[in-house]
Parts: sequence; structure tokens; C-alpha cells
Amino acid sequence: MSIATGQGTAVLAPTLKSKRVGPLQRIYNHRADYLYVLPALLVMLIVIAYPVYYTIELSFFKTPPNLQMKDKVFVGLDNYATILSSSSFREVTMNTLIWTVFSTLFAFLIGLAAALALHREFIGRGVLRALLLIPYVVSAVAASYVWKWLYHSDFGVIGALAVQFGLTDKPINFLDNLHTVLPSLIVVNVWKEFSFAMIMLMAGLQTVPEQLLRAAQVDGANAWQRFWHVTFPHLKSVSMVTVLLLMVSNFNSFIIPWVMTGGGPAGASDIWITQIYNIAFGRQRYGVAAAYSVILFIVMMTLGYFYVKALTRGDESRAG
Amino acid sequence: MTTQALDRPAPRKPIDWWRWAGRVFLTFLLIFTVLPMVWMVLTSIKSQFAALQYPPQWWPAEPTLQNYWRLLDPSNSVGQEFLRYFWNSFYVSLLTTVIGVVVAVPAAYAFSRFRFPGRTFLFFTVLLRNMFPAVVFLMPLFLLMRWLGLVNTHGSLILTYLTFGLPLSIWLLKGFYDNIPIQLEQAARIDGATRFQAFLYIVMPLSTPGIIATSIFSFIGAWNEYVYAYTFLSKQDSMTLPVGIQRFFTEFATDWPGLMAATFMMSVPVVVLFLVLQKYFVRALTEGAVKS
Repeated sequence: MSIATGQGTAVLAPTLKSKRVGPLQRIYNHRADYLYVLPALLVMLIVIAYPVYYTIELSFFKTPPNLQMKDKVFVGLDNYATILSSSSFREVTMNTLIWTVFSTLFAFLIGLAAALALHREFIGRGVLRALLLIPYVVSAVAASYVWKWLYHSDFGVIGALAVQFGLTDKPINFLDNLHTVLPSLIVVNVWKEFSFAMIMLMAGLQTVPEQLLRAAQVDGANAWQRFWHVTFPHLKSVSMVTVLLLMVSNFNSFIIPWVMTGGGPAGASDIWITQIYNIAFGRQRYGVAAAYSVILFIVMMTLGYFYVKALTRGDESRAG
Repeated sequence: MTTQALDRPAPRKPIDWWRWAGRVFLTFLLIFTVLPMVWMVLTSIKSQFAALQYPPQWWPAEPTLQNYWRLLDPSNSVGQEFLRYFWNSFYVSLLTTVIGVVVAVPAAYAFSRFRFPGRTFLFFTVLLRNMFPAVVFLMPLFLLMRWLGLVNTHGSLILTYLTFGLPLSIWLLKGFYDNIPIQLEQAARIDGATRFQAFLYIVMPLSTPGIIATSIFSFIGAWNEYVYAYTFLSKQDSMTLPVGIQRFFTEFATDWPGLMAATFMMSVPVVVLFLVLQKYFVRALTEGAVKS
């Protein structure tokens, strides 16, 4: 997908409304323009196109564990079959879906509510916004350690608070329990990324025309009706982009589950990414890991298609 | 300002329930956001003995800065290692940012201004890079780095960080260039400037906010990166902070106050950078996704 060759551009060129000039002629006419893009393209070619190609190639081979890739053996689709028929695939996929869907949903809803509440001017609004954004800025590694300490089975402050308020009679072991581990991690993830949704939606709210809201108010619409019929339609495209970006980053998140639980206990918090990492660098089965990556790729590409579509709406019409 | 205008025509309403709901919600959200950070700081000023008590000391009985002194003191081994990780992180992040911006600026400009064949296609591939999980690139890049002889060097990290930094930088900068009126350049061209001169003297100064925003983003991204650093670096003295602090504190029993002090120190640079340049950061985050 990332391999941008000369042929690729030539094939696509006619779609760009060329008038009477042949595609090659057009490329020639614009030859100086490519110089600006060249350094970026070179870096991308080395560190993106090559790895993508290599991952796809590797997914059809059985690889030796010592990374001596000369000795790899072609096995066709065996790696894919291994994954799809493995006993853990179902559970891990389920975890991945739960992780992605709930993280995205809560981060978006909390972000939306926060954006609406912060839209009105009040004293300390700037400070509040900055404070809420800090979790998004700090490293996920730092966040994972801090939350690991908060969840600590013996000395964790959350467990202690729960006891203090009489919710339980002894501290809860959040991260070692099959049922609580995934929700606990989702809380950390939401803590870390809700402010991203908040900021995006706050920017989106600025585009809602004030007159329309006032007109609706004059016509007797209540707050909820104003939100649903005026504000929300204006937030549609930014919400699309936000949800897609959240989904992509949640599908790809590695640090929180890896640092906090390593996928455990008994795979209860294992998601695709941690599974791939384990297969590749733990069990040294690079071919299988590569095939797994390709599956993930396909999902990402589907999301990516919608992302690009949502983003570039109206881009071509801009004067240039 | 506009909300005041909105409020005025409406006569005294009894109670605005939505507004109160908003306040209550924000209060809870603030507690949720800040409490973990407060507990991190409180733990970091406790001794190991004070931290491992049940029920916990809500407020440290004997607050101490010894955990911080230990980390910052180059004369003991812990401080030595920590400062080395800190320096490594700083150096890698800075170089990544500088190289990334130098490469991204012309590319973003071209994507914003020129209509060369394949522009849309190339731009999509640039954007789609954001969709790829780091783990997918891990293995091939690891092999590539081994082939280049860069394993355990910071060069491997800088080169890799460009893979996630560059597309984002190009995307952000393109948004800023789109907002600079093309007429300014055209005027310069009429006055006899070449295209490159117009770019250098007219567009570059105007896009300074964009470059700042992009730089913050790539610096923070590189500073916080974990997966590649975790895989590529196995030598202790080349590690960056996120990987380093992990090795540090899990070798023996976990020293929670020390770990909290280290995570605090690790967060300080990015949080300060964010607070100082918040305006640019927010703009960078929302650039492109919101069209007025």
C-alpha cells in the first residue's frame, strides 16, 4: 500500500483532471515539485515500504528462531491457518474488540460531555482544560506504572478507598482477577485519552453557528433539543475523525496492557498487539507473527479508508 | 463572549440544570484525572516503609525528598543510570524532532501548494502510515537495523521514530500551509523572487507557529516512545527513560516510591513543554480535523 512508484503515479494521474496534456507530460512539467517531497519519500520508502513488503513476504514462510532469514521455508498459507485455528485466537480477538470498543466509546462520551461543559466561558476554564489534558501528554509507560501502583493488591489506594467507604471488606485484586483485569485496563486507557476527544470536540464546537443556537432558543427548543438538532449535526465530521483515530490508536495500543499485566492473568488481558509481540519476540515465531500482523493490517486499512475519506472531504476543492 | 450575548435576551431562568450538571460532571472528571497524579507525587515523597502500609498513609507522615536526590545524584549508581537514561531520551528526541521537521517542511509545502500528478495518492500513503501499528514494523525494522549495524545505537531509534513522526508532521504542517494565503507568495514572485525565495522568506516565517506545534508533537512522541526502544536497545547505557526505569526497578523488589519519583521526573519535561506551548499543542491536535 505504501509503495509509491512511478507507475503508480502514472496510473493515477488521469483521474486528476488533466486537460489535453498526457500524464507523462504532466509529470515532466511538475518535475521540480517532486524535489520537495523526495527526502520524505526516501525515508518513508526505507522505513515504511520495505517493512510492509517484508512483513507480507514473511507471513508465507516458516522462519528459524535465530533470525537467520536465509533458512526460511515457504509454507503458503499455513501461518494464517495456524492463527485462525489456534485456541486462543477467539479469546484474544474478543478481548481486542472489548478493549477497542469500550475504550473508544467511553473516551468519546466523556470527551463530548467535557467539551460541552467547557464550551461556556468561566473562570479557570483554561487551567481546567490544561489539567485535563495532562494524562494525554504524559508517557503511557509512566501512566501504566502509576496506575499499577494505584491498583496494587495490598497497598493500592483504590482498594484502600473502597474499603474506607465500605464498598468491600478487603482490598480488591484488580489486575490478577480474570474478570476485573480488562475493565481495569480500559479505565486507565480512558483516563489517558478522553482529553484527546475533548479537545477535538471543543474545536468542533467552535464551528457551530451561534445564531442557529439562538434562533432555536427563541423558537423554544430546550437544551437537549438544541444539542441534538443544532450542535450535534455540526459535530458529525469531527466526531467521525475522532472516533476513527481513537479506534486506530486503541487497536494499536501496546504499552498499557504490556507494562501493566503483560497480557495476563492467563491471557485475560491479551489483545492482538501483545499477542503478536509475544509470538514474535517471546516464542520467536516470526512467520506466524507476520501473518498475524497482516490480518491486523487489513483491519487497519479498512479503518484507514474511512479515515482518509472523512479527512479529505473538500480538500481537492481548495484553491492551490 | 458570544455566550454572554446568548444569555442576555433570556430573562432570569429559575435554575439551569444543564449548567449544574456540567459543573458536577467537570468536578468528578477533574478528580478522576488529577487523583492518580496526586497519589504519584505523594508516594514519591514517602519512604519505602511508609509507602508499604495498610491502610495507607493518606498524607505522608514524614515527607522526604530522598527519592529525588537519589535519582539526581551522579555519585551513586542509581542516579548515574537515571541521568544517563534522561540524557539519552533528550538527545534522541531532539535529533528526531530536528531531522523530522527539516524533512517534513518541504514535503508539506509541496502537498499544500503543488498539484503534481500522484499528489493525492502519495498523500494518502503518507496519512495511512498513521494506521499501522508499531508492532507490525518491529520485526522487519529490527532485521533492517541489524543489517545496517545500528542495533543498540540511537541511530536506529531516530530512524525509526521518523516513521511515525514524519507522516504526522507532514499532515500537521500541510494544514498550516493551507491557511497561508497563496497571494502572498504570488506577490513576492511578481516582485522577482524565485519560488524557493518566496518559500524561504515569505512562507517559512509565517509558518513558525506550525513548525513549533509540529516540533512539540514529535518531541513528545519520541520522548514517550517505548516499543522500539524496548526491542532495539539491550545495552544498559544506551536505553531511554521509558525502558530504563522499567529495568531499574523490577530487578529486585519494586521500590514504589523510587519508581513514582522516576515517573514524575520523566513526565516533567513533556508536561512543562505542553503547558508552555499549550496553544500550539491544541492547535496541532485539532488541525485538519476541524474545518471552519
